[in-house]
Amino acid sequence: MEAIAKPDKSAIFKNKVKTWFSQPQNIILLLFGIVLTFSTVAPIVAIVKDTFKIHPGTIDQHLTGKVSGYTIVNYIDLFTSRLARTNLWMPLLNTVILSVLTCMISILFGGLFAFLVTRTDMKFKKYLSSIFIFPYIMPQWTLAVVWQHMFYSNKITGTSDGLLAAIFHVYFPHWWCQGVFPSAMVLGLHYAPFAYILIGGIFKNMDANLEEAATILDTPKWKIMFKVTLPMIKPAILSTILLVFGSAMGSYPVPHYLNLTTLSTKYISMNSTYTGEASILAIIMMVFGVLILGMNQMSLKSRKNYTTVTGKSGQLTKLTIGKMGKYVVGIIFILITFFTSIWPIMLFALETFLPNPGDYSFLYTGNLAHLTTKWWVTNENVTENGMYGQAGILYNNTIWHAFFGTLFLAVVCALIAGTIGTLIGYAVSKKRRNKWANYVNNVAFLPYLMPSIAVGAAFFILFSNERINLFNTYTLLIIAGVVKYIPFASRSSLNSMLQISNELEEAAIIMNTSWIKRMLKIIIPIQKSSIISGYLLPFMTCLRELSLFLLLCTQGFILSTTLDYFDEMGLYAFSSAINLILIVTILVFNTLVNKLTGASLDSGIGGK
Amino acid sequence: MKKKVLSAILSLTMVVTALAGCGNSGTGTAPAGDQSAPEAADQTANITDDAAKPAAELTGIDAIIAEAETMTLEELAAKAIEESNGKTFYGVGNSSRGKSALPLFIEYLQSIDSSYNMEFEWQQPKNNKIFEQLTSDSLKSEGTFAMTLIQDGNQIQSKMVDTDILKTFIPKEWAEANNTSADAYEGFLPLQTLNKVFMYNSTGNATYTNCWDFVYDGAHPLFMGVDSEIVGKNFLMMLTEDKYATWLKEAYDKLDDTKKAYFEPTIKSMQSDANDLGLGANGAYALAWIKLWVNSYNEQTDDGPICNTLVDASAKDQAGLLVYSKLRSVEESATVSVNNIKVAAYEDGYTGIGGYGYCHYLFLTKNSPLPWTSCAFIAFMTCTEQGFEAWGKDMGGYSSNPKVAEEIEATFHHSQGGGDEFPAKNDRGYDWWTTDGELVLEDPVYCSEVSFSVGSWIDVLDHYAPGE
Repeated sequence: MEAIAKPDKSAIFKNKVKTWFSQPQNIILLLFGIVLTFSTVAPIVAIVKDTFKIHPGTIDQHLTGKVSGYTIVNYIDLFTSRLARTNLWMPLLNTVILSVLTCMISILFGGLFAFLVTRTDMKFKKYLSSIFIFPYIMPQWTLAVVWQHMFYSNKITGTSDGLLAAIFHVYFPHWWCQGVFPSAMVLGLHYAPFAYILIGGIFKNMDANLEEAATILDTPKWKIMFKVTLPMIKPAILSTILLVFGSAMGSYPVPHYLNLTTLSTKYISMNSTYTGEASILAIIMMVFGVLILGMNQMSLKSRKNYTTVTGKSGQLTKLTIGKMGKYVVGIIFILITFFTSIWPIMLFALETFLPNPGDYSFLYTGNLAHLTTKWWVTNENVTENGMYGQAGILYNNTIWHAFFGTLFLAVVCALIAGTIGTLIGYAVSKKRRNKWANYVNNVAFLPYLMPSIAVGAAFFILFSNERINLFNTYTLLIIAGVVKYIPFASRSSLNSMLQISNELEEAAIIMNTSWIKRMLKIIIPIQKSSIISGYLLPFMTCLRELSLFLLLCTQGFILSTTLDYFDEMGLYAFSSAINLILIVTILVFNTLVNKLTGASLDSGIGGK
Repeated sequence: MKKKVLSAILSLTMVVTALAGCGNSGTGTAPAGDQSAPEAADQTANITDDAAKPAAELTGIDAIIAEAETMTLEELAAKAIEESNGKTFYGVGNSSRGKSALPLFIEYLQSIDSSYNMEFEWQQPKNNKIFEQLTSDSLKSEGTFAMTLIQDGNQIQSKMVDTDILKTFIPKEWAEANNTSADAYEGFLPLQTLNKVFMYNSTGNATYTNCWDFVYDGAHPLFMGVDSEIVGKNFLMMLTEDKYATWLKEAYDKLDDTKKAYFEPTIKSMQSDANDLGLGANGAYALAWIKLWVNSYNEQTDDGPICNTLVDASAKDQAGLLVYSKLRSVEESATVSVNNIKVAAYEDGYTGIGGYGYCHYLFLTKNSPLPWTSCAFIAFMTCTEQGFEAWGKDMGGYSSNPKVAEEIEATFHHSQGGGDEFPAKNDRGYDWWTTDGELVLEDPVYCSEVSFSVGSWIDVLDHYAPGE
């Protein structure tokens, strides 16, 4: 009897390992799983540690009587002292209200606009679709500054009169001028393009047969809307909430300018004397990020599946809003977007020609001689030119140094985050039922859900120690930017990769085509538009990001901190000029990418 | 499941960490004269063990500073040229003008040695980050920053000097100009004193003839929040010091009966808090003023917007406490004018505090990579007109060196900067402000001592919100 040859276990193991490593998606998931775990967890560990640390010259030193070591006194003081209401509970309540309202405004405004663009015969869609995303291009607090210039008045806010008070003697109530309402409006308008792009994407691909069937069954229109249409866009609404809630929560500049105390503004104001307690606020904001991710996972599990693309119906029935209606609605939106997108740009441009910041006296007097070009063309800062010691914009080294620094930062962040995100999206789509793949997907997305100010604080603490001190370096900004913006690319890439049938790549594998060639010749060309979006979004966001970078560099290092510096100083001519520079830069890049690749932010919805 | 994995990792991280965690001229001169005087001896600002040692026992940076304090600017310049030629100098400061002073310093060194060259980078961190930046830099064996120009005596004392992160160097010529010596002088080295003064828009009917008027019923002066600029909180804490509390009491005594009656209940109600906080006889007056101020000031992001507002004709009757020098850049237009405001302390009959003064201090870092160059640069800024020019060219900033202050006034004529046309811009100078102008001066040691007694008391006060 012939002896049965025993299988060589080590050979089998080696073969398994070899096979496992022969699949690029496994290597990608292993590598980025480890790297992203570190890049996400390490800052959290650093900031948690900071909450226990005794900081010389702060409240914990006073309460413990020690100058170093660790203590839990920061937690006790924050939660139980007589300042708990001021330092914790009120800011927390304001933050939650602000985040919820921002989500509601962005979903209602963006969703309604998406519906009108994709499902009705409204006119001027192409123009409106392009102009609608402008508030997202602009730094979020610039709308807050415009709000101040428009609605403030000596009578209500105790400042000088804004435009409406000065010209028309219209005085808006305080709740309109400062606090939660204007903050939510500004942030809602800023994030409405998210809702527009996400909800619009579903509206555009939605099978009209479902609604038509309901119509045939004589279902009332409101019932069709609530029972058929809205449930189908529910995933997009949830995605919008996912993206907007954390962003609104971590916004520092908007509530700061509009006088609302949130966890972010409190973090900054407490940081000098209540350093450890401020870190606890950052932890609380992070916990919200984790909770949102958890809720999203639960909703994914329980969510009913509504197929939007069936392949049966290629026709999208558009709602007719009447011969006049389609013009009237279009014109109404032209007016609205004029005030949210065009008017701020006009004000920015005008501001750079005013004699003093916010001095619109030429409007009241009708005398154009009151305008000046000094903010642009003054070429020195030695003589007193009424410019607070600054050289003109064209000659201002601080502005131009910051501009090129920002461009470098945005390009590097976009390239790294875009590439890593695309690879993660690809790998996760290949192993979609694998637990490790899901973990990598989630850990890559988590930093996006964490408020920017908290992420910035965590990175500052992590990289400011005796061994490594990266404050005010591009390295630190790039690390923080990449970790924060990978989700843009990974989500965009994952969604598009899931649409590609495995057969395409398998055919190429049979032909012995290398992985790099498969990516370059098959995968990337097919989903070019989505992948480029994964690069464009980090680029654009990075250009005008403040909350994330605020704690990581000095003013003048990048454009957003320089802009914020000038806004705080009340030198609106400089901040307005920076805004214009940013907007033009983003539009130039967007157009360039659009011309070269056909991709753009609003492509596929109403844009092109 | 994936959520559980993620949650487990995060929870584990937090638990592990938590466990690990258990363990005389027209513009006068700034404060040097005051601080070198005997009364300033209490300011044990930079008295450390090292500083108390005889020069022979000192090592490292302390030995260099001790030697540098015996040298003239020229001698320091020679050392700087030897040390930093071809190198990069990193400075960090609250004032961006360090960046303007450095090229002039390099020019000065080049006038001694034409082959000399030095690159430089000047950083201006925001939101109090300068303290964290200097702290983390101090952990290295050799730091990045050679020196700093920093404000907020309170935090400097508790976070920088008590922890030995920053070192004071007193230039020889500066000490001589202030009739003192490096050994005798106690305190930080101020580059300049800046003043924030009470102003009000005078296009309406409101008058502010007493510092208590700024906290009277219905007044909501514009002010940077005490949380966003800590020197503002230092001002409030300083008011509780005996000298300034007495000034407030004296101003109160000169109020008419109606206003006295308005303030009296608040002052009385503050008496027990004043006792609890261990304040002097007039402490209740200080606490009452502080309480009413915090309850009523209208918080703004910076002094720039405050100035923009006040000089506008529409800001009728509005008042503010802001950096005096902001007036320099106001351009006259149909609705905006410097003549729309009045500096309260300049008005005849005004009684009480006119504002407050705080310093920009100069320090070497304890691990300065270029200590000799830093000493030379500090001496250059504090002992020469050229070195102080970046600040001195504008009103409202007073050199701590009387000789430099005189030269600056002779060159820039700040005392007549506004002429007859804009009297508010005629800077009356440091000496006037600190006497007749009743400027409250920041004392780092006092601020540091009461930071968590009076300071915490201030923290719990309700803040005003417009519309309330």
